[in-house]
Amino acid sequence: MKIAVCVKRTPDTETRIKIASDGKSIDEAGVKFVLNPYDEYAVEEALKLKEAAGSGEVVVVSVGAASAQETIRNALAMGADRGVLLKTDAVSLDPLPTAKLLAGELKSGEYDLIFFGKLAIDDYSHAVGAMVAELLGMPAVSSVSDLTVDGSVGTAEREIEGGVEVVEFPLPAAVTAEKGLNEPRYPALRGIMMAKKKPLDVKDVTLPEGGLELVALTLPPQRQEGRIVGEGPDAVPALIDALRNEAKVL
Amino acid sequence: MSQFVPADYQPKLPLDRLILTDPPSEERIEMDVLFVGGGPAGLAGAIELAKLVRADNEQDGSLGTVSIGVLEKAGALGEHSLSGAVVNPRALRELFPGLSDADFPFTTAVTKESVYLLSDRSATRVPTPPSMKNHGNYIASICEIVRWLGEKAEGLGVDIFPGFPAEALLTEGDRVLGVRTVATGRDRDGSELSNFMPQADVTAKVTALAEGTRGLLSQAYCEWQNLTGENPQIFALGVKELWELSRPLDQVIHTMGWPLPKNAFGGSFFYPLEPTVGALGLVVGLDAPGRSLDVHELLQALKTHRVFREYLEGGELIEWGAKTIPEGGFYALPPRRSGDGVVMLGDSVGFVDVPSLKGIHYAMQSGIFAARAIFSALKVDDTSGSTLGAYDRMVDASFIKDDLYRTRNVRLAYKDGFYKGSVKAGLMTITGGRMFGNRIDMHRDADVPRDVGEKTDLIPDGKLTVSKVDAVFKSANATRDNIPPHLIAAADVPAEVAEFYTHVCPAGVYEVADDGLRINAPNCVDCKATDVVGPRWMPREGGSGPAYKRM
Amino acid sequence: MADILVVLEQRDGVLKRVSHEVLAAGRVLADASGGQVHALAIGGPDLSGDGLGAFGADRVVVVGDDAVKLYQPELYSATVTDQVQSGEYSAVILSATAMGRDLGPRVAAKLDCPLAADVTELSSDDGIVVKRPAYSGKAIYTLRVTSSPVVIAVRPNAVAPIDGSQAGIVDTGQVASAVRAARAVTKAIKQPERHAVDVTEAAIVVSGGRGLKEPEHFSLIEDLAGAVGAAVGASRAVVDAGWRPHSEQVGQTGKTVSPNLYFAVGISGAVQHLAGMRTAKVIVAINKDPDAPIFKVADYGIVGDLFEIVPRLADEIRKIKEN
Repeated sequence: MKIAVCVKRTPDTETRIKIASDGKSIDEAGVKFVLNPYDEYAVEEALKLKEAAGSGEVVVVSVGAASAQETIRNALAMGADRGVLLKTDAVSLDPLPTAKLLAGELKSGEYDLIFFGKLAIDDYSHAVGAMVAELLGMPAVSSVSDLTVDGSVGTAEREIEGGVEVVEFPLPAAVTAEKGLNEPRYPALRGIMMAKKKPLDVKDVTLPEGGLELVALTLPPQRQEGRIVGEGPDAVPALIDALRNEAKVL
Repeated sequence: MSQFVPADYQPKLPLDRLILTDPPSEERIEMDVLFVGGGPAGLAGAIELAKLVRADNEQDGSLGTVSIGVLEKAGALGEHSLSGAVVNPRALRELFPGLSDADFPFTTAVTKESVYLLSDRSATRVPTPPSMKNHGNYIASICEIVRWLGEKAEGLGVDIFPGFPAEALLTEGDRVLGVRTVATGRDRDGSELSNFMPQADVTAKVTALAEGTRGLLSQAYCEWQNLTGENPQIFALGVKELWELSRPLDQVIHTMGWPLPKNAFGGSFFYPLEPTVGALGLVVGLDAPGRSLDVHELLQALKTHRVFREYLEGGELIEWGAKTIPEGGFYALPPRRSGDGVVMLGDSVGFVDVPSLKGIHYAMQSGIFAARAIFSALKVDDTSGSTLGAYDRMVDASFIKDDLYRTRNVRLAYKDGFYKGSVKAGLMTITGGRMFGNRIDMHRDADVPRDVGEKTDLIPDGKLTVSKVDAVFKSANATRDNIPPHLIAAADVPAEVAEFYTHVCPAGVYEVADDGLRINAPNCVDCKATDVVGPRWMPREGGSGPAYKRM
Repeated sequence: MADILVVLEQRDGVLKRVSHEVLAAGRVLADASGGQVHALAIGGPDLSGDGLGAFGADRVVVVGDDAVKLYQPELYSATVTDQVQSGEYSAVILSATAMGRDLGPRVAAKLDCPLAADVTELSSDDGIVVKRPAYSGKAIYTLRVTSSPVVIAVRPNAVAPIDGSQAGIVDTGQVASAVRAARAVTKAIKQPERHAVDVTEAAIVVSGGRGLKEPEHFSLIEDLAGAVGAAVGASRAVVDAGWRPHSEQVGQTGKTVSPNLYFAVGISGAVQHLAGMRTAKVIVAINKDPDAPIFKVADYGIVGDLFEIVPRLADEIRKIKEN
């Protein structure tokens, strides 16, 4: 089984966000970068499928700056076989240019499955996986929390509001991973040592033009004072109204 | 119970768990040299060794490839590193002769400094003691120094493994063969989770223990080999906060006095990491006899003093952390810091000079010396204690020993309290250590009886002053909730002793419950304070504990 | 004069509230450009597009076919793309739901156009400008759209529906014919098994504390959590008392939960707990003691008997969800 996993280097979720002086990016001083957590599920699933198949190859692909090699090494340390970095310092907030680069790299790879994290915790676009599948003309299932692969047919469960969609698809296909798909393994010491020797191909690329221009990156408005909406069960409608129309969280 | 001795309730170091005599696993990972601990000492050692090997390979090449590994318990380099810090650059200069001070990860040079003696209302500026003068030194974040050293080491081919604590020494006879790492992915009861990853044995010709303050394997090695200094090692606890200041700070400030009780040794520091980012901390000896003494709470009280308040109010607490400091100085050093297949570096043996508040450059220098001794030993293919003893000889002939010897009794003089201590320490400093030159006998911190003492009753406002739980949150502690407990307390600890632990620990790990001592182990930030006077600290799953960024 | 295409969302033949939200978003852009809002509703044969004019649609195209009763990614994306190519549209707007987050990128890829995902604000002033959160809501991007068309996925609850009286035209459309045989097929929607969502990851958390008095009463918390689609959390006190497993505990270790919505029920708000949940986006407290510290951090509070309030709250939320 030949599997690709697309990964991204992202700031840790615990990171305290400070806006850089350009007003368009975060101040990276002291920021810890990690393998995007949803991509860890993707790597784990790929490794499990390869192990179940008894043979195959797991290739990790990333688009990013030279520093993303470290992120790819993390995935190699978990057990992936080799890595490819499509190296560019450019960043696009339109996901399509990134998807095009990945699709270009993956199209001739004859992969049975291509995994992604369902989203990257920095830009939250939730888009690249489905876009790559579309560009490659491949069936795709996103936000998958359960996956079984039987020969050339897959069955995935996809988390939707208040339920789970059950989707059947033929291989080759693309799958984006949701939390709960698996419990990612810890890299072993030996795995980390071996990862340093695994092939990592760095290819210089040019990010295609996107259709979104970054105007500003700002901090969200300060939190407002709270209030008591009422007493007893009669206050419930007022609470629900506030949650729906004021706070917009219901 | 009006008085008790902490040692009576302290479990013994479990040597049977820490010194293993069965042969290393067949699946062991073999390296030439293994540094245990990726702090300034271990990384400086790894860098110096890698450079020596590289130079050797470029010349006659008789050594061949030398694999150098660094194990680090934090999830990433620097995440468990905490210091003031005003750094003396000499060891960095020696390690990187081709670089200038401007290339080092320092933030600012010290230009102005003040020392204040505080009372609750006033602040009296006192002359800066000669030992505390910092002209020519630099303010820095040790996290940043460590990350920078890590990059240099990796550039030289050193393999660094963050997230791998060592839990035991692998031994044969008197020789150290390597270490065993901690398994990951265990449930609270010790059972294996689906992503369980077993421990690994890592063997090396030389194992360099650079675990930092109160290093577990260094303690175990010294106890196993009966290596005790003339005095026992003593410790202080430092609690530190990083603040975004409401107005710029342009100088290094140290304070003494309030809010510390008179029978406690300690003081505060306040350094501008950037003009509007301040590193603020309070350090207090763990031999203070008051059993309610609580460094975290004292630091909170300190911040309400106008000296600090005017910078902090309206600012924001960015990070919080805590760590112990070995303060025993010259007389507490183990008689040898090397043995068959092993050397011990930096804070783990106590290369700290208390009067000047410095340790980082001693740690790095000890790493550099160790690397040179290891290199020579590898060249002659003899890593016995007698060959590696060259390391001890280099330390003893260096400024490390000179500095620590000159101030050998300064900290110790304070065992009788602040005022008597100040007078004695002052005289020692003036006479270059000649006056009161005879060794002052010290007790282990755990042997000092504890009595009822002053209590700080401060209710945190959540802005200027914070509770321990809020503080731990600011340490970015991301320990898995269901990790097995890693702190070993005696059974049936009396309520007074349990209460004492709640004050010693700055992170709210200990609580007194109806049924006795309750331990919230995941709160632990690995400061090792209770390891000194109470429950023992054992290593836990890699990446647990704090994630300091600029401490 | 470019129009705006709005993609509606239905379940079991009933349009969801988010459909009205995207219509309102479409209206904002159409009014600025002087174009029309066209709505595309895809679903089973019983799907109706009537009455959508009141919500802002000038024209509604209904594609009702058994083949697209459930969300079928390939059929839906091809149908939307066909519709876009049949007219002159400057933007395709859908909701950033599970469906929209899957459909949006596919349509953008097919049209070779930009995608603005998870948009919380949009306006039209010298081109389309959107705002969208990033870094777990810790920062906000402002982006200008520089090419046409663009696909915009609007976050649910971000735009309020219009309450108007305009009548719209309803047409009938067809499932894109080229791909009637889709490869990936959604077979069914099933109710999720109650699997323990980690409280640290859940979008909504309902936590109970000592105020529940007995461990059995935690069924109230579970019921509310079920109604609102939340993970169950617990205060330190009830975990220590053995009422709840440790995995549900919020706030002991200095670890935090940061859900969009956090209900603290019968929790006084010991600082231990507060440290663990105060980064939640919206905090609701229900407690009988008006002086409980939890009210100091809560955005909304109800003072009173939780045994009366919580069941009522669960019922009301269920009613909303059913619509």
